[in-house]
Amino acid sequence: MSVIKIGHVNLRVLDMAAARNHYENILGLIVTDEDSEGNLYLKGWDEWEKYSVILSPSEQAGMDHIAYKVENDSDLDSYANTIQNYGIEVENLDAGTLVDCGRALRFKLPSGHIMCLYADKTVVGKSVGNVNPAPWPLDVKGVGAHWLDHCLLVCPLDPENQVNTIADNVNFLSQCLGFRLTEQALVGPDADIQAVAFLTVTNTPHDIAFVPGPTAGFHHASFYLSSWGDILKAADIMAMNKVKMDVMPTRHGITRGETIYFFDPSGNRNETFAGLGYLATPDMPVITWTEEEIPRGIFYHSGELNTAFTEVYT
Amino acid sequence: MREEDINSKYNITIVDTDVTFKCARETHLLEGMRSLGQKGIPSGCHGGGCGICKIKILSGRNSYITKTMSRTHISEEEEKKGIVLACRVFPKGDIQLNVVGKIKRKILSGQKIWNFS
Ligand code: FES
Ligand SMILES: [Fe+2]
Repeated sequence: MSVIKIGHVNLRVLDMAAARNHYENILGLIVTDEDSEGNLYLKGWDEWEKYSVILSPSEQAGMDHIAYKVENDSDLDSYANTIQNYGIEVENLDAGTLVDCGRALRFKLPSGHIMCLYADKTVVGKSVGNVNPAPWPLDVKGVGAHWLDHCLLVCPLDPENQVNTIADNVNFLSQCLGFRLTEQALVGPDADIQAVAFLTVTNTPHDIAFVPGPTAGFHHASFYLSSWGDILKAADIMAMNKVKMDVMPTRHGITRGETIYFFDPSGNRNETFAGLGYLATPDMPVITWTEEEIPRGIFYHSGELNTAFTEVYT
Repeated sequence: MREEDINSKYNITIVDTDVTFKCARETHLLEGMRSLGQKGIPSGCHGGGCGICKIKILSGRNSYITKTMSRTHISEEEEKKGIVLACRVFPKGDIQLNVVGKIKRKILSGQKIWNFS
């Protein structure tokens, strides 16, 4: 029984035509479906499930929910129990409630974000197929993102009032769903406040991460590219398309990822993330960043946080 | 529309700080300000989603048009009163505006992350 990967993120967008152009032509995701409510379903060329991104028309930007995939259908029963026993309410969703998925669970993380678990989603295959595949497809658009890699969520933190939903999320996800903490930042006078946390269910440095804020929100969804060269090309393509970039190509200290931060046309932040960082097997000791070094943990070269990165989210 | 209208640049003034810049009608106020290296309106997502660039327009409803702004940050009431997001506002005439209190929602603010130590 295990959670095996990030499944999808459902983002709310203010202008669907602009969003579609961004995710399809600039990020290079493939549109696999569109429903009567105007939701758009997309996947990266290297993904096999039908979608990893759902775009929903809305008057408010931000994230609707994030979903992870579990190994077996029966895991859903066990996880429903575990989550309920932990004290978090779980909703059982019938097959099809998450489009093209089997039955699913829906619950709120301690930070207030909605998470779903599913075991089965329609498989449409990678663009390069499964037999004697080419290393990449010729008809990929834009920056040609491989897959949805992870999301970063903004979680309420107010140490004076004993509120730390980052630590609460870490507890919940590690105790109930088998997520493993890979990196954290500890702050405060006694360096005992877990203010930043990165967790994985695979062997990559993170499948989800949390940073603090006064309100719950969505910081970014990150899409995988294979090399630093791809990151440079991605930045060129974004500049050609006048995409609002937040952080120019650089490296994270945390996860070692090579990165660009930019915004979709509704202000939801995206990232292109290259390099697998390191192999995060279950026996890897947790990496800790101290308060003074958090800026370097986030932007390794400048060692400085920019205000948009820390204050801007949807 | 006369050609000079299409190419018009309008005078934008941030009243409280005396910052002025010129902005074309197809350029949103935030981009107009930033592209001239000016400061004053906080800059974030440039997509009407994050709310950081909230301003109040003092020059009247006829001086600008808007694109969709996230209702998380601008209510219908506010929109009617000229409280808008600078990255969704395009000028149709000279504009006077003020910045509406920077939203206090820091995640981490520089070296000193929280002021309780
Ligand atoms: S910069 Fe984000 S709403 Fe204007
Ligand atoms: Fe990231």
